[in-house]
Parts: sequence; C-alpha cells; structure tokens
Amino acid sequence: MNRLQSLARRSLLPILAVVTALLLGAVVIVITDFENLSKLGSDPIAALGGALAGVGRGYGAMLSGAFGDPGRIVTALQSGNEKDIATAIRPLTETLVASTPLIFTGLAVAISFRAGMFNIGGDGQLIVGALGATTTAIALQGVAPAAVILVAAIVVGTIFGGAWGFVPGFLKARTGAHEVITTIMLNYIAAQVVLFALRGDFLRQPGGGQPISKVMTTFVDVPGILPLPGIRLDFGFVVALVMAVVASFFLFRTTKGFELRSAGFNLTAARYAGMSAGGSIMLAMFLSGALAGMGGSFMVIGTVGQLSNDLSGGIGFNAIALALLAGLRPTGVVLAALLFGALTTGGKLMGIQSGIPFDLLFFIQALVIMFVAAPGLVRTIYRIKPPKPEAEVAA
Amino acid sequence: MTAAAVIAHPEGLAARRALRAARIRGVVFAALGLISFYFAASALETAALFSFWIDKQGGQSAQLQTSVGALWIVAGVASGVVGILQLVRGAAFPWRRWLFIVFPPYIAVTIAALLNGTAANLTGVISGSLVLAAPITLGALAGILSERSGMLNIALEGKMLAGACVASIVASVVLNTFNVSPSDPGYGTAALVGAMAGIAAAMLTGALMGLLLAWLGIRHKVDQIIAGTVINIGAVGITNFLFLRVLGRNTELNTPPTIEPLRLPLLADIPVLGPIFFSTKPYVYVAIIFVIILTYLLFRTRWGLRLRASGEKPAAAGTVGINVLAIRYRALLLAGLLAGLAGSYLSLSAAGSFQMGMSAGKGFIALAAMIFGAWHPIGALGAALVFGFADQAQSLLSILGVQVPPQLLNSVPYIVTIIVVAGVVGRVRGPASAGMPYEQG
Repeated sequence: MNRLQSLARRSLLPILAVVTALLLGAVVIVITDFENLSKLGSDPIAALGGALAGVGRGYGAMLSGAFGDPGRIVTALQSGNEKDIATAIRPLTETLVASTPLIFTGLAVAISFRAGMFNIGGDGQLIVGALGATTTAIALQGVAPAAVILVAAIVVGTIFGGAWGFVPGFLKARTGAHEVITTIMLNYIAAQVVLFALRGDFLRQPGGGQPISKVMTTFVDVPGILPLPGIRLDFGFVVALVMAVVASFFLFRTTKGFELRSAGFNLTAARYAGMSAGGSIMLAMFLSGALAGMGGSFMVIGTVGQLSNDLSGGIGFNAIALALLAGLRPTGVVLAALLFGALTTGGKLMGIQSGIPFDLLFFIQALVIMFVAAPGLVRTIYRIKPPKPEAEVAA
Repeated sequence: MTAAAVIAHPEGLAARRALRAARIRGVVFAALGLISFYFAASALETAALFSFWIDKQGGQSAQLQTSVGALWIVAGVASGVVGILQLVRGAAFPWRRWLFIVFPPYIAVTIAALLNGTAANLTGVISGSLVLAAPITLGALAGILSERSGMLNIALEGKMLAGACVASIVASVVLNTFNVSPSDPGYGTAALVGAMAGIAAAMLTGALMGLLLAWLGIRHKVDQIIAGTVINIGAVGITNFLFLRVLGRNTELNTPPTIEPLRLPLLADIPVLGPIFFSTKPYVYVAIIFVIILTYLLFRTRWGLRLRASGEKPAAAGTVGINVLAIRYRALLLAGLLAGLAGSYLSLSAAGSFQMGMSAGKGFIALAAMIFGAWHPIGALGAALVFGFADQAQSLLSILGVQVPPQLLNSVPYIVTIIVVAGVVGRVRGPASAGMPYEQG
C-alpha cells in the first residue's frame, strides 16, 4: 500500500505537468485562431465555440494519430486480413517507432545529467552517429553480407556519437568550458558537417541537388518485429528497451555508475573521496553521445532509410523534456518516451488534418519541463499540499 | 610542498598555476614575435595593397600601400613587446587588453599575404564586422548584467528569437495602420514609428521573459540552466508555431519597415573612417553607447557595486542590507530589454522579416563574447568584434578568391565560440555566485 501510494504521489506531478501544458497549448491554439476570433464582436459564442472546436479537432487528430481507432483495430484483428490489421495498428506502431530514438536520447540525457552535465547536444550526437552509420553502410555495400553491414553500421554510428559527445566532456573536464555552450555549438557544427558529407557523390542520392543520402533499405535494414506490410517497427525498439535496462544497471549497480552520480551530486566531495571527477564527466559524456549516436544509427538504417541534415527534427530537445519528466530514471525514460512518441506521431497528424503546426509541441514540452522543474507551480495551481519534509516526519 | 599543504592553501596553488600560465603566455607571444620577423625577411618585396571607400560604398577609393614584410615587422614588434611585458610583469599583467594591439596587425598581415600583391577593398568587410558585432555586443551586455548579479542567462537565445518575432509583427501592424505605400511622402515617418514600436515591443518581450527566468530561478529555485532551457525551447516552439499558423497566411504581418544605415552628420563625411564607423546601422551606435553606459554604471556607481556584490558574495551583500533578490530581478529585467533589442536587429535590420530559428545560436555566441570579454562591457565589445569578423570570413574570402566549402565557413563562428569558451587563449573567472540560488533571510 505504501509503495503504491508513493508511486501515485511520484507520478501525480508529472501527469499534472503534462495535462496543464496541454491545456495551455490549447489556449495558444484558441488565441491564434484569427478566423474564428474575428467574429468575436458579432457572435461571441459561435466564435469561441469555433475556436474550441478547432482545439478539439487538433487534439482529437493527435489522439487518433498516436493510437489509432480501437474499434477498427478490433474488427481488423477479427477479420484476420493482414492488410487491414496493418492499417489499423499503424498509428500505434508508428508511436513506438517515434519513441525509439526518444528512448535512446532520453537515456543519453539522463546519464549526462546524473553526472552533472547538462548535455543539450543530443541532436548533434544523433546526427553525427547517423552519419557514421550511413557512411559505413554505403562503404560496405556489396562488399559484406547485410547482417555484417548492419552490425558494423550501428557500431560505427555509436562510436561516432560517443566521440561527438566526448568533445564537450573533455573540454569541461580539462578547461571548464560550459557544456551548454559547447554542445549547442557542436549541434550547429554537426549539421554543417553532415551537409558537407552529403556534398560528395559517395553519399548523396544520385540525380538531385538535394543534400540527402542514397536510400539504404535496398541492401541493409534492421529486421522488423511484425511481419506486416507497411509496418516500420523494428528491433531498434527492442534494443532501446535493453539499453534502458543496461543504463539502469550501470547507474545504480556499478562502481563507475556510482562515481558518475557522485560527480553530478557533489563534484568537490567526489574529488575529495579520491574519485576522478573529470574521468566521470568524460565517461558520462561519451556514453551519452554513444546512446544518442546509436539512436541515430537505428533511425537512419532502420526506419528512415536515408540521411538528411534534418533527420533529428529536435529529438535532442524532446529528450531533455522527457528525461526531466522521468526524474532521470531509465525506466521512467521509457514511459516518458512512449508519451512523447505518441505526442510526436499524433502531432504530425494534427498538423496535416487540422492545420495546427507540429511546432506547438516544442512549446508544450517547454511547459512540461517548467512544471516538472518547478513543482511549486503545479501545487499552487491545483492546491496540492507539499509533501512533508523528511526531518519533520522523523521528529 | 606536500599534498596536504596544497589542499590547505588552494589560493597558493591557484597563484602558482596563474604564474605558470602567464609565463607560457609570455613565451608564446615572444615566440610569435620572433617567427613574424622570420616571415618578414622573405616578404619585404611583396606589396600589400588595401583600399577603402573614401565617402561612400562604390565611390572613390583611397589606397594604402605598404609591403607584407613591413606588416610582419609591425605584428612581430607588437607581439614581442606584449610577450616581454607579460614575462616581466607576471600574472598581474592585463594581457587581455593588449590583444587589441596584437590582433589587428596579424589580421592585416594574413589578409595581405592571401592577397599576394593584388588590391582589395576592405570597407565592406570592416563595417560588416561592426554591424554584426552590434547584436552580439547587446546580447553580451545582457549576459553581463545578469551574471554579474548572480543569475546565469542561458535564455539569451530564446529572448533574441522571441524579440525578433514580436518586433517584426508589431512593426508590421503599426506600419499597416498608417496605410501608406513606400512611394508616399509620409512613408518615412510611418516606417520610423513602426520600427520604434517594433523595437519597444521586442524589448518588452525580452524583459517579460527575463522576469519569468528570474521568477523561476528565485521564487521556485529552478536550476537556472533548466529555466533558461525552458525559455529557449519554448521560444522556438511558439515562434515557429506563430510563423506557420499566422504569419504564413497573413504575410502583411511579417513585412516590417527595415532599419537602414544612419549617416551621422559631419562625422560621416570624414574620409575613409566615415563610411566605416559613421554611416552604419543605428544598432552599432546604440551598442557602443550602452557599452559606455554600462561600464560606468557597473564600476563607478553604488548600484553597480551592489549588483556585483550580489553576484560575488550574496551572503555578505545581504548582511549589509542589500536586497539581493530585488537586484537580481531588476538585473534580469534590464538584461531582457537589451536581449530583446538585440533580437529586433535580426528581423528589422538584418533580414527584413522574421524567419524561423533566425537567431541561429547568436544568443550563445553572445554568451561566449561575454566570457571572452571577462564579464566586462568593453571586453565583450572587443570579443563581439572578433565574432563579427569571423562571420565576415565568407565575404572576405570571396574577395580574396579563395575556394573554401561554404559549410566550413558557416561553422567558423561556432568553432571560434568553442575555442573561446574552452579558454584556449586564457581562462577567466566569472562572478563567483552566478547560478547559485540565494536564500534571503
């Protein structure tokens, strides 16, 4: 009972944070609905109703885009028609597809934050990892069997991402350069590096000036989980879940993980205890970048199939929000990534069906971070009593 | 000295490190000077031709002719002198200021060496650097204000982006209410009023975001970096959303009047210097004025002393009766005004309309300028000039006819930023308590 209560207490704030952020997002949708609001003077009820209906349409589209239509799924499953099942469950599997890189980058953020490093370079690490994977795959095309290409591409991509993450870690440990500035700058540089790499004929798709790579699905692919047509969900998702378990074990059950968390908790104390704080920071940033790079590799080899400089689309920033929402716990990261995956997939359908731009989600995510980081705000809004401090309970 | 003694006297350790760093720096400067003389010997015959517009862009030009070797000698002397001064005076030597003497000759000699005897007009490059340095300086000043008061200001980027968006919308709306076309006689006034309204709105937006940052950091004790990230991501989200949902369909909301270069009477007529310094965009004048004002306010007034005390040792400041939290709120309010002003430059002066993600890291570059400028307004201006010049590298190299991939050139400001914050050219100490929450009794 006690455990259940504490779990409920712990998840109450994150849930309220998300709900409040979505409500405020709705407010933004309403006040930018000029077509309806222009009628406010003549027919206020219809105007507000129209604007609110717009919100309903938008969030409704988000919901069905993320989870599909339950009734349709049931009938499709009963009919047993492969094609019907695939169409019906596609929104759900797309949500899982969108969550996969979010789990990787969310874990990346969690590990670096635990070491006290505010890594906002997830985007850069992801795309450099994807570049490594793409280059490897294309270089090995026709030389090695598909399975070898797959493993080599993922490994190289992971190392590339790790190296890109290691740079700010090294700079922080050796010179004290603030990681927020260096990681952001490395994001911009990564985009330019990828554009530069896509200039040459080696990577670029032939017959077009677009900076986009050759399609790789013809010779290498991550095996799918469901043998249904048009379902992109693949074993990258499983690897992401495995990585969450590994990260959890590493952080809470190993000496290195303890040192890493100590460096984040109190750098000076960790130093005085004889730990190499700089080493922990560099290790954390390497692992963080490696996870993001692995996520990028699975994305580019498995689900997307070709590299472009906007592959990431802000995943690195989503990762910050979801990692904080998850309280920097690997298991929580998985749950939060599923939620954000649903928001992403749903948000795309919202953009198509109701004309409410997908970018609203960035605003909603910022609000989520704010509410999670400032629990006092949520408590004030919903008049929740703050939990009693431990000292008082003991006394 | 044993390990225990080192730990017991961290100040002594820091002093010895500083002295060692100073010696290394001195040797590097001196060596650079000697190498320069070596280069000078082989380049005395090569002509160095720089030209500048005398009165206006595209008019008559004045030519400065010397030899590459002579420039090497000047650079070598400058570097050598600074190196010797550094070695003699040790850690106390304010070498950062002397960079203003060392950098320019080296930049000049690099350009001259690349030109290799052909002439190039530099007015555009120099005034371009100056114009680009203006928003970075304003952003850096915002950073200095907040960090000197003890608040980290990662949110500069978001404030500039939001400022750019609001400035464009408000300026467009105000201009539209006048209902004049560019050919009408009253257009100039309408454009001016619109631009001013846009700038004011951008500054107000920045100030409100600054207050939000302060409120989250002070009242709710949110980690100041997380609070800043909230504002940065939120600004990207809301401005992209507005651009796609509102501005895309109503382009009349995103066609602001542009802020054109302003010729200062008399000063603009000075040959050579006039076109560079005195007929440039108003943001340059404003930035320089703010640099002077803030230098005075921070280091010569009671208010400045209190602000700096809040950032260095808030507990001590609080003990003598200074309201640290009020100072921090006010500092972030002022910083927000400056950041919003810097943002308005992007849409009203640089691009002529708002575009998604148009701040493109300039807020973070401004933070780097603040760090490189050692949290001092004048230093920040100098650092901003370096960044402005780095950004002009593209046009400079095209004048020189050097073929460099554009992706590399686009990365230059970001790479320079990393080098600067990594302190490759010397580390400085920021305000001791920046980023730490303060509990006021």
